This record gives sequence, C-alpha cells and structure tokens, in this order.
Amino acid sequence: MASRGRDPVVSARGLVKDFGRLRALDQLTVDIPRGATYGLVGPNGSGKTTFIRAIVGLLKLDKGELNVLSRPVSRVQEIYSRIGYMTQHKALYPDLTLQENLEFFAGLYGIDKQERERRISELLEMVNLAEHRQRLAGTLSGGMYQRLSLACTLIHEPELLLLDEPTVGVDPRLRQTFWDYFERLTSEGKTVIITTHLMDEAEKCRIVGYMRAGRMTAAGSPEEIKRHAGLKPYLQLWLRDPKKDASLLRARGYEVDMAKGAAARIRLESHDQIKDVLDAVSPLDMRLKEPTLEEAFLKLSEGA
Amino acid sequence: MIALNVRRTGVVALRVIRQLKRDRRTIGLITFAPIVLMTLFGYALSGEMSGVTLGMVDGGGHDLLRSYLEGIKDFEIVYLGSESDAELLISDGRLNGAVVMKPGEVRVLLDATSLQISGAILARAEAGAQQEAASREKDQGNLIVTRYIFGYDLEMMDTVGPAILGLVVFFFTFINAAISFVRERSQGTLEKFMVSPLSRVEIVSGYVLGFSFFTLLQSATTLLVVTHGFGVPMRGSPLTALAVVLLLGAGALVLGSFFSNFARSEFQVVQFIPLIITPQIVLCGVWWPLQSIPEFIRPISYLLPLTYASDALRAVMLKGASIPDILFPDLLALGIFFLVFFAAATLMLRREVD
Ligand SMILES: Nc1ncnc2c1ncn2[C@@H]1O[C@H](COP(=O)(O)OP(=O)(O)OP(=O)(O)O)[C@@H](O)[C@H]1O
Ligand SMILES: [Mg+2]
Repeated sequence: MASRGRDPVVSARGLVKDFGRLRALDQLTVDIPRGATYGLVGPNGSGKTTFIRAIVGLLKLDKGELNVLSRPVSRVQEIYSRIGYMTQHKALYPDLTLQENLEFFAGLYGIDKQERERRISELLEMVNLAEHRQRLAGTLSGGMYQRLSLACTLIHEPELLLLDEPTVGVDPRLRQTFWDYFERLTSEGKTVIITTHLMDEAEKCRIVGYMRAGRMTAAGSPEEIKRHAGLKPYLQLWLRDPKKDASLLRARGYEVDMAKGAAARIRLESHDQIKDVLDAVSPLDMRLKEPTLEEAFLKLSEGA
Repeated sequence: MIALNVRRTGVVALRVIRQLKRDRRTIGLITFAPIVLMTLFGYALSGEMSGVTLGMVDGGGHDLLRSYLEGIKDFEIVYLGSESDAELLISDGRLNGAVVMKPGEVRVLLDATSLQISGAILARAEAGAQQEAASREKDQGNLIVTRYIFGYDLEMMDTVGPAILGLVVFFFTFINAAISFVRERSQGTLEKFMVSPLSRVEIVSGYVLGFSFFTLLQSATTLLVVTHGFGVPMRGSPLTALAVVLLLGAGALVLGSFFSNFARSEFQVVQFIPLIITPQIVLCGVWWPLQSIPEFIRPISYLLPLTYASDALRAVMLKGASIPDILFPDLLALGIFFLVFFAAATLMLRREVD
C-alpha cells in the first residue's frame, strides 16, 4: 500500500469500446499520474467523452483493463464519493435556485449543514455567482450555468475530477480563475482530467493527451509534444522586392515559401538565424511565429 | 447496492418537493382538476340511477322467461356469470335485483332496501315464469325461490366519486413522474447520480416519498370535495382512504418511472395516456361492473391497480370498511403492483447507459 500514492490515478490498457459498428475507443492505453492536470484534446468524436464515461463506470468496455484510484473500474462505485464528474451537458435543475442545486448535490454526499454552507459560499465566490445565490438556475446565462455546474461538481471536494469541457462559454477572465483554482487543487494532490478544444487551455495542462479515432496518438507535456513533433519557428517577411530578396535568401540556404500571398515564410533552425536573415534583406515588416500545440498535434497525427 | 440510506433518500424527496412546489401550474392542476372533474361528472350523472337494473344468470332451461324479461322496457339487463356475482352487485347497490335461472328452478334475488322496486321485479319474474309454465305440454310448474339481500340505495356519484379520486391521483402521479424521469435523463442529472453514492433504490424511493406529499395534498382536497360537495358518504376512516390512495400513488409513480425509459421527450410521455390511463378508466369496474365485463377481458381488469383502488375506496367510503377488510385482495394487489414496478423501475436505471 505504500506505493499507492505513486500509482497512476487512472491506468488504462488497451481499452476498446464499440458502439455498433463504430469503434469509439481503439486500444487506448494511458496512465494519468496523481496530482496532474491532464488535458484530453482531439477533434469532435475522437472519444474523449467516451473515455471519461468509461473511467466513471458508465460504460461497459469491450476489451482492456482499466484501473481508477487503484481499483478495477468494475468496483468504481465504492469510491464515487472521491470522484467528481462534470458531464458535457450541464447536469443541473433549472427550476431550483443556485443555493438549492448546491444543497442537493452536497446532500448526496452527506455533507453536514455547517460544512455545506462554508463550501457553497467558497465555490459561489470562485465561480463569481455569489450575488445570484437565490436565483433560479434556469434564468442564468449559458456561461453562468456552466459555472454553477462546475461548482456542483466540486462541492464534495473530490480527489479525482473529470471535467468534460468545463469552460465552454465561460469568459476569459473567469476561465483564468478556473485554471488558478485547478492549480490549487492539484497542489493539494488532487487530479484534474479535463477535456477542451482550446489550445491555450491545453498549454496550461501539465500533461496533454491527443486523441484521434479512439486512440491516444500523442501524450506528454506541451513542450515535449512540440519537441517531439519537430516543429521549428518560422519568420513571416513582407519583402520590398519579393523576387530579388527571395533569391538573396535562397542563396544563403533558406527555403523560401512564397505561396501565402504577400508574405514570404522561412523556417528557422534556431532563433540566431533572425540576425542572418536581416543581414541579407531589409523587409517592410516581419513576424516571428512559434510553433503551436495545435500544429504539433496536427503534425503528429498525420503519421498516426 | 440495495442498501438504502435514509438521509440521501430524504435529500432526493426534499428536492422533488421543492421542484413541484415551485411548479404553480401543476399545483393548480392537482388541486383543481379533481374538483372540475367531480363537478362535471356530478352534473352529468346527477340524480338517481334511472330504470331498473336487473342481473341475469342464465343456467339454461328458461328461454321463454329470459326473452320475457328482456322484453320489458324498464329493465336494463346485465348478464352475469354466477349468483355470487349478482349478490355482490346488489349489496354494492349497482343492481336492483337479479334472476338466476336453472332448469326447474328460478331464484330471484332482491334488494331489501328498496321494496318498491323489489316488488316490481318479483311480480314480473313470477308473471314470466307462469307464462313459461303455461306453454309447456305437461303443466309443469316452476319453483320460484326468493332471497333478500341488503343492498344500498346508491346515487351515481357515490359509485363514481371514489373512483375519480383514485383516477385523478393515478393520472397526475404517473404523468408527472414519467416526465420528471425523462428530464433527469435528458438534462444529464441522472448520469450525475450514477456517479455519486446515491443508489438506484434511493433515487426511486426519494421520488416515492416526495410525490406522496403531493398525493396527500391532492387526495385531501379531493376527498373534501367528494364528501362535502357531492355528499358522498364517508363511513370509514378518511385515514384509511388516504392510505389506499397513497399506495395507489406510489404504484403510479414507479409505473411512470418505468415507462419513462420508453419515452425520449415529455411529448412522448403524453402519448402513453391512451395506453396506460384509458384502459384503467374503462376496465376498473366503475362504469361497467366488473362482473359484466366479458370474461376474456376481465383478467386485464384484475391486473390494473385502479380496479383495486376504487374497490377499496368504495368499501371504505360507502361501507365503512377498515384496513383489515380491504387487505385482501385490494391492498395486497396494490402492494404487489407497487413492488413489481418498483423493482422494474430500479432495474431500468442502469449504471451503464450506452
Ligand atoms: N451512446 C452512444 N451511442 C452510439 N455512439 C456513440 C455514443 N456515445 C458516443 N458515440 C460515438 O462515439 C464516438 C466518440 O464520441 P465522444 O462523445 O467520445 O467524442 P468526443 O471526443 O467527446 O467529441 P466532442 O469533442 O464532440 O465532445 C463518436 O463517433 C460518437 O458518435
Ligand atoms: Mg465530448
């Protein structure tokens, strides 16, 4: 049992799930370490939600081995009080007030009244809905509804959080608050598994897993993934005399891509080469583009 | 998994109550719908039952007597299977009398509480039997046996009132429960329950508890209207009547929960009405006595909870029956119905919802 703390929180080996003829999970293998923010990204229909539902025991897997908090998933019911699950459609009662929604979910976990009030206040503060406490949830705006749903998921302070697109429709400032809060949770040793379509959010995760057609095609820290994809930064140059300047640059061994309209693009091996480029030409304007996580994923999934 | 945590169940019940309480239209409907229905039926069926309703059990041998009685304009004939059925209906006040025919014997059952009608029935039966005897070759007489049974001088509302109470509760609870469960599914809260310590038994029990609160409210108002507004007697204890209605409501709730699995939207729930509600109205034995429902359909009547509930309610209200009197078969049947569909509803709330 001493090693339990270091066991992965979720450990999946060769998961397969078929919906009729559609293979939603295809030999999915992944370990999710304790205390991480783990971002699940990938195109629509790539199996992110299916994977999360498998982790919480809502799906019967066709094949594979899945352990959650060091237990086989078949016995995950025993530890539901330690898991927080936010579904992709926001599970709330529109005809109850915010307070009543939170009270209800707190009640399911047997949280006593005093503690419950403390947490409700804290969470409503975090999702910035404190002044709407007595409003009916159904009258909230889309983003507010989303925020309340997150608060309801956090009410029992679970150690494993599974959040399916929790930030859809949430404004940037509050999204930042969410991520700060997730940071705090992971620093307490809790694990946050989160799906998102936003690459700036994925960048904030300690580990990102890229799913495609039910497989994990790449996983690692955002930096690792970019390095692994072998992407280089490039310069975008608006040249004074495109023809002449391009041939000057080619003479220095650069590959000049003129395909994209007015600007020329040059791949750089390192940032030092910027000076060299400017020695050769003096462009009207230029921009340095760092490789993005998105490009890295696209590149990596080309091979998959 | 079968473990039932009382506190969690209470949390679900409280939530259901809060939601229903906020739903003004539903509250209005559950209190006023029974009143409107009662008034409607009250006027439509006002006054004494007209004509003479005569039961007939034809054991053969009296074709002439039979057609003689059938030919009498004032007599409405209800065909029955046995003498005991006839007895039951007379004591319920739904038949004025009955003629039981066997070869060589005619038994005339009469209601001791309305001697005028009884006299008329007896006179006609004797006249018919005499005619029959006269037409025979060897002047062979008919043996006429008369029996008096204590019936009950009933107004239509007295029979129908208790049944309407049951019907309204059943209808409201079934529809609302089914819609609530469809919503739990579509808004994703059910999936969230599945990933919480709340067990399936607790979910359904919580609903039963929460809805019972409203069933009580509804039955109390309806009972007041039936007894005070329409003068239907309440010879038994109102608490016994409420107990019957609560059991019926619990059955309707689990039935609604079970059927919610076959509906994808609230709209589809409404489409269950012809399938679930209408047969109960037709076959529960209120408008047409059970004993007169064709035998091949009768088994269906005995499967429907409203049949037992209206029987029990009538017994409590009109005859002053107490719980032991209605235990068998009414309460037992309602209890079994509840348990069967409680189990079915619980099993349908599968954890793996793929
Ligand atoms: N209950 C189901 N029945 C049939 N097919 C399903 C079911 N759930 C998911 N699928 C299919 O499985 C595939 C994976 O779906 P999933 O919801 O896991 O994708 P996702 O990665 O979460 O997509 P999104 O980014 O759009 O949320 C999809 O093709 C989907 O249509
Ligand atoms: Mg999804």
